[in-house]
Amino acid sequence: MDFIELKDNAEKELEKIAKSSELKSFFDKYLGKKGEIRQLFSLVKELTEEEKKKLGQEVNEFARNLEEKIAELEKEIRRKEVETEEGSQSLDVSLSNEKIETGHLNPLTLTRREMERIFELMGFSVVDGPEVEDEWHNFDSLNIPEGHPARDALSLGKTYYLKNGNVLRTQTSSAQTRYMQAMTPPIRIVIPGKVYRYETTDASHEINFYQIEGLLIDKDVSVANLKAVLRIFLEEFFEREVEIRLRPSYFPFTEPSFEVDMLCTVCDGKGCSACKRSGWVEILGAGMVHPNVIKNGKLNPKKWKGFAFGMAIDRLAMMKYKINDVRLFHSGNLKFLKQF
Amino acid sequence: MLFSYNWLKSFFSGELPEPKKLAEILTLHSFEVESLEKKGTDWILGIDVLPDRAGDCLSHIGIAREISVLLNKKLILPKVKINTKGKGSISVEVADSKDCLRYIACAMDNVKIGSSPKWLKEKLEACGLNSINNVVDATNYVMLETGQPLHAFDFNNVSGGHIVVRRAKKGEKIMTLSEKEYILNENILVIADSNMPMALAGIKGGKIAEISNKTTKIILESANFNAKLISQTARKLNLRTDASVRFENNIDPNLAEIALNRVISMIEEIANGKVVSKISDVYKSKAKTRKIVLEIKEVSRIIGIEIPKKDIINILVKLGFGVKETKSKLLVEVPTYRQDIIIPENLIEEIGRIFGYEKVVEELPRGYLEPIKRNESTYWQNKARDILKELKFTEIYMYSFIGDEEKNVFQLKAEEIVNPVSAFYNYLRPTLIPQMAKTIKENLKFFKDIAVFEIGKSFTKDKETFTLSGGVSCCDFYCLKACLNTLFDKLGVKNVSYSLIKDKSFWNKGKTADIIVKGEKIGNIGYLSMDICQVLGLNKNVVYFEINFEKLEKNCSRKKTYEAISYHPPALRDISGIISDEVSVDDIIDLIKKKGGQLLKSAEVFDVYKGNGIPQGKKSVSFHLVYQSEEKTLDSKTVDSLRDGLVNELNQGVNWEERK
Repeated sequence: MDFIELKDNAEKELEKIAKSSELKSFFDKYLGKKGEIRQLFSLVKELTEEEKKKLGQEVNEFARNLEEKIAELEKEIRRKEVETEEGSQSLDVSLSNEKIETGHLNPLTLTRREMERIFELMGFSVVDGPEVEDEWHNFDSLNIPEGHPARDALSLGKTYYLKNGNVLRTQTSSAQTRYMQAMTPPIRIVIPGKVYRYETTDASHEINFYQIEGLLIDKDVSVANLKAVLRIFLEEFFEREVEIRLRPSYFPFTEPSFEVDMLCTVCDGKGCSACKRSGWVEILGAGMVHPNVIKNGKLNPKKWKGFAFGMAIDRLAMMKYKINDVRLFHSGNLKFLKQF
Repeated sequence: MLFSYNWLKSFFSGELPEPKKLAEILTLHSFEVESLEKKGTDWILGIDVLPDRAGDCLSHIGIAREISVLLNKKLILPKVKINTKGKGSISVEVADSKDCLRYIACAMDNVKIGSSPKWLKEKLEACGLNSINNVVDATNYVMLETGQPLHAFDFNNVSGGHIVVRRAKKGEKIMTLSEKEYILNENILVIADSNMPMALAGIKGGKIAEISNKTTKIILESANFNAKLISQTARKLNLRTDASVRFENNIDPNLAEIALNRVISMIEEIANGKVVSKISDVYKSKAKTRKIVLEIKEVSRIIGIEIPKKDIINILVKLGFGVKETKSKLLVEVPTYRQDIIIPENLIEEIGRIFGYEKVVEELPRGYLEPIKRNESTYWQNKARDILKELKFTEIYMYSFIGDEEKNVFQLKAEEIVNPVSAFYNYLRPTLIPQMAKTIKENLKFFKDIAVFEIGKSFTKDKETFTLSGGVSCCDFYCLKACLNTLFDKLGVKNVSYSLIKDKSFWNKGKTADIIVKGEKIGNIGYLSMDICQVLGLNKNVVYFEINFEKLEKNCSRKKTYEAISYHPPALRDISGIISDEVSVDDIIDLIKKKGGQLLKSAEVFDVYKGNGIPQGKKSVSFHLVYQSEEKTLDSKTVDSLRDGLVNELNQGVNWEERK
């Protein structure tokens, strides 16, 4: 067989190869120790030096070329074989083992942490206050003196008393003056914690729940600052654009006082059952710290101004997770808790 | 309070905005309009008048005054004309003018009691009041119009025609109009005749001098009582009325006269009554206007935007304040009907709300970029929560209260709540364990494997302590102990040991340990006493723990140092021995650690056995020992000699008899 013929045959054969076993035979046939290319060299003897050199070069090049093609084809065949093999052994990916149990944190913890995170980023330190308070801190320090209707409303209706005359705090604001006395302004703190109300429990009332109180004391603090901090907090918390409005309200410990409404996130203000058709959802109470409270914190109210706000963590958790019954948080019900 | 749109409109010439629009304006600048309902040709607005404004705004004139300021419309008050005049006077005696700031009385005769005209009935009903008879309706109407509660007595039942405003005597009784009897005391102010109380002052009238169909002669009362006294009495008697709600928030004493004149003219008109006495007016110290100095720059300092001086003055004047201007200050005279305005900040609130908070442009507070202070307590609590969650615990929250059952069964000392919501919540919890047991019991109805915890306050006399408690149904003492050891390790708590509890408590005495850190007890781990499990029907295999978190926290540490990893293979050896039951495994481990040498990397118990083949009072204990060097691969001769040396030490130290 001459070289041209051999070249031609080899190329034709190679095109037809589809299995790795065939490729192996093909390799042996042409490039093996006793393969046809080797045998070509036996013909060489009859040629001139010049011809020998030329043919040698051509044959070597052809052999190299063929080796490359074989290697390429081998990869290609292997790829196809793997694909076929893997395809024939595919998993039923709709199946899985039983759910792997992890632990769970109470949604109130999750909500509280998120709130603390946002306020810490805005420069508010997280502090605690006692749950059992004396009457002075719970009422008087907050400008709710004996005989004040708000005092009566709380003390004769909503407050738990202990035998020694102490009370279970009715709001986290009770800790405000402690920190005014202990810290040097400017003061930026949030006080999260458990508060207590004498209530008949229902889907929106609990005998103990969680509040977070915010307090900023500085030389120049205004309603404009309060508005900015609250809107930014709510936007971070709800992870969406938020529109708020301040309505006049009344708290003995702030003046002016506000109720802060948020444009309903369910209907975007169009009016739905979540916002009782009003388009707005009442979300927290706030105001500029009353001069008497600043005085009770042993600071000069002429020099120092401040804002304060308070919101129920339970309520924001309910909004965030669409929980419809506040009692679930303290129920210890694992069917509820395992969802978080 | 419910307000009639048409009634409000009657104080203005011309139209008001649509009810919905009006409600929105009031909500943003005055009070929240909570409901709006169409009723015939009228609209009813449910307005949540703020407590500090109850003195002037629980009335149609009060709200109309707000509207007149907000819409810049002139307020037209009803003209009052009295046609009859009387002689003589009603004798009024006020025992203490601090209790009763003002008392005006007037007698009318020839009164024809009957039903009210239709317009009057409709207005009362629109505002949620029932029509009773023309005289009572007139007093109620004037209250809804002006905010001044009024009362009418049947003259013939007022013994001696004499009125005394005094504190009740202890044990005196009164039957109110709603036929409920109250036993009174010295803290309660009453309106009495010469003999007995006729009314709970400022709260409710009594049956004795009730206006009936037979009444022809009446005494009208228009008074002003001490707000604190009325507030406390109403709440103590649990009898809050339209009158008490108004009195408890400081009504203007000057209103009493205006309201009385108004009601007299109405009774002349609709009940044909004629005034037959002079007006008796006991008014010892007349209410005066208050003066407040307002620094103009304080307004923008607090509100946060510049409000022009002329706007400030304009708002105050429209609200009825007198204003005198100096360069940087305003001298503001507060009308007596605004008893809530005491300090400059009150004025700033008025200016702010009328001007409109929506016009305040948001501005973030400025300050130094001081880093926040880490709250160590919160930090470690959160860390513990996360670790326990990793250990597959679920966090529960429970009430701070426990009831008699928990207190008695667990034999607890607990702080008592004077006014508990119910017998289930009589005490502050001194421990979280009883509730933990109950929670696990409830959940065992639905789940098999339960691991729960809470970090919350527990309470003892004069002290509240953050407490970490938990319970597991799915593993035993040793397994829970392993969980706690992981928790301690991750919190950087070192030197933790356990020893069997000594005293009897709600814990099972033989199966509970004190958890000790550096010699101080910080908590317990173990099972509940068998009695308690039986009485409460608890699963006795549940293991609990309770840790004083504040004591634990003192031992927490963020410090962590890397220990070099050895690249030489470890050599493992086991030892088994028989030892007196009195020697605890911890003691043996301590000794092993002390005597094991530097190359001993760890010693772990893998078997403890008592019973067959082991003498009474003894136990068999087995350890895995791991020897390793950082420098070289240990040959078996070296390791064996280390092991044998250790066995020898154990033998001498704790009488360890090796089992071959």
